[in-house]
Amino acid sequence: MKKYRTAMTAAVATLTAVVLLAPASLFGQSDADKAKARAEQRARGIALNRENNSQVLRLYDRQGKAVATINEKDFYNQPTISPDKTRLAVIRNNPETETQDAWVIDVATGKSTRITTASQRRELSRAPVWSPDGKQLAYVSLRGGTEALYRRASNGEGPEELLYKHPGFGMNLMGWSLDGRYLSYFTTDLSGGILYLLPLDGSGERKPVEAFRSTSTVQGARLSPDSRFLSYMSNQSGRPEMYVRPIDTSGTGAVSGGPWQISTDGGLGMGFWRQDGKQFYYLAADRGFMAVDVSTSDAFEFSKPKLLFRLPEGLGVSVGTASVSRDGERFVVAEPAQPRLQQITVFDRQGKMLRKLGEPGNYGQANLSPDGARVVAMRNDPKTNQLDIWTYDVATGKGYPITNDAEGQNAPIWSPDGKQVAYVSTTQRGMPSIYRKAWDGTGNAEQLFTYTPGAGMVLTDWSPDGKFLAFWTQVLVVVPLQGQSAAERKGIEWLREEYNVLHGRFSPDMRYIAYITDQEENGKLQLYVRPFDAAKPENPPPGDIVQVSADAMGMIGWKGDGKEMYFLQPDPKTADVYVMAVDITTTPTFKAGAPRLLFKLQGPVPGNPLQWKSASSDGQRFVFAVNVPAPAR
Amino acid sequence: MSSRVIASGIVALLLMAGSVRAHHNMSAYFDFNNRVTLSGTLGKVDWRNPHIELIVDAKDGEAVQTWRLEGPSPAFFRDRDISRMDFEGALGKPVTFEASRARDGSAWGLLRTMTLAGGKIVSACPQNC
Repeated sequence: MKKYRTAMTAAVATLTAVVLLAPASLFGQSDADKAKARAEQRARGIALNRENNSQVLRLYDRQGKAVATINEKDFYNQPTISPDKTRLAVIRNNPETETQDAWVIDVATGKSTRITTASQRRELSRAPVWSPDGKQLAYVSLRGGTEALYRRASNGEGPEELLYKHPGFGMNLMGWSLDGRYLSYFTTDLSGGILYLLPLDGSGERKPVEAFRSTSTVQGARLSPDSRFLSYMSNQSGRPEMYVRPIDTSGTGAVSGGPWQISTDGGLGMGFWRQDGKQFYYLAADRGFMAVDVSTSDAFEFSKPKLLFRLPEGLGVSVGTASVSRDGERFVVAEPAQPRLQQITVFDRQGKMLRKLGEPGNYGQANLSPDGARVVAMRNDPKTNQLDIWTYDVATGKGYPITNDAEGQNAPIWSPDGKQVAYVSTTQRGMPSIYRKAWDGTGNAEQLFTYTPGAGMVLTDWSPDGKFLAFWTQVLVVVPLQGQSAAERKGIEWLREEYNVLHGRFSPDMRYIAYITDQEENGKLQLYVRPFDAAKPENPPPGDIVQVSADAMGMIGWKGDGKEMYFLQPDPKTADVYVMAVDITTTPTFKAGAPRLLFKLQGPVPGNPLQWKSASSDGQRFVFAVNVPAPAR
Repeated sequence: MSSRVIASGIVALLLMAGSVRAHHNMSAYFDFNNRVTLSGTLGKVDWRNPHIELIVDAKDGEAVQTWRLEGPSPAFFRDRDISRMDFEGALGKPVTFEASRARDGSAWGLLRTMTLAGGKIVSACPQNC
């Protein structure tokens, strides 16, 4: 393997051919060798991830001016500012050990103090909150399969105290009331969400109080400074908004009034009360930090939200990556060290850039229509934070919205004739379905197939004869389309194995399916082709299983005449990506030649290439959503 | 992005393509607040994606009930140096498992931990916890 990697650097295409022509015994690794190879590949992946996706912590004032930066790059989450604004509590993700720990960082010096120490892999701490005096931190830890709330001195000294053992899973701690008496947290799943308060005073076993239960998703429970109101995010209106409702912590009876929706154009769920109870802050859908004047002196009153400042689009801020100090003067954001946007770009087969479509933005999963004249992609609207499917005319750059709703959309592909787009849409209840719609967005979407609630589906192909869809969910599933309604259609687990089956694409003559697996168990992915029988789609028919590449990363494409295939191959040492071609024959049986390099894409290339259909059917054009630097703040 | 990342994080990639928790929504089928711990005999192992399935003839008092336990994917265990052979070697032998019960009340559970004959403890957390 060492020889292989070394030579790859010098002559990628040539050596790939050598490797593919090498006898099978070269790959006949022992389990120990495979484990070592996987570990090496994993370490390399983590190093690339650190290089390209690590973050810094930046503090802003109310005008959006950066006033301090913790420049130590790491994977940060849930930064929270101490009451005196001198320290940050934050979760650091360690991908090497797959652990998460809570740390406290001094803003002036950058010195870190560890609060939790994961003792074994996959121990996860999260959601740190400061005590009102800043002397303690409370947090959630998952240890040995059990979640619990703990607290410890914020200087890292002294023992940790177990506060409450959670019988379920998925608690998210959000606040410590200003009177010190309650922790607020929430749980959420596809049946809705529950906001809880955990009383800290008294003796004996602590019992959480259910403050509010909803069939909608409710998150981010935080008590007002006087503990009379609870703020939270809910999607009850169809999109996330911020709400406040009265709360009875005394247990003496029901309360009346509310809830009040205090955001007007979407809220990402991070609500913060100023300690005097006169202002409330949240992050809007367009990444703006909003301030709302409020009064809790008697009944709850609130004003129209005012924009303080807006974070740039390239920062990609989300729930859990920002918070506000208790006096409303400082805003901390865990932001990418290298902010980027994406540009949809069309290349020829030599890698020459032919055209850029639209302005840089947040795009993904760009796929080219069979004739190369149009592109379908996922686009995140910077104003609404809504992810939708769009198509673009390559010649004019004009865009057409295919979807426009708050459901989770993904994995768009073209119909064989290029007149329709199919995609996966997952309702807020987690029900995934495949829909199709006209390429220009006109008419109604037609539901083609519905799948297991909560399941992940990556739609990868619509067969050339129009009669099958293919998607993967670690298993490759084929869906016959003819003559049935969506509810009646059944997916066929065409390839369900011990290894992961990822991607799936029909050959132009419908006699084969190309797919990617990790069956070599060496940390790499392999591209295979095996026979498909449209008359008997229940199982792969007998026939040779041909390995086309021993190191592929997605974007399987077939040339329309069945004489060439395309795929992506990773650069072994950098995040760059090779666009590869391979000559093939499909009659009487499938045979593949030696893959050769068409051109190199500068990495990292964002998105999931195990869905991409980047090549036109004549193999002359390729489309990718490539990274470009985000404009300066 | 490289296939190095992909190979070590398939679920992470699914996330990039859309909203995914696991193969299906565990909380829709299983009650995480209703756990059961039982002992019995491991009868069958289906070691395939998207998640393995174990059949255990478990004793609940005097009665013996056949339990179907859903685990994570084979890759989840492989990353933890647990192989199919660990389970197949335990076929016909006593095991003890903890699982979240199915909401429909049937003998179907989402595996949290299993203690194999010989004392080896296999955890399916945090994936199934």
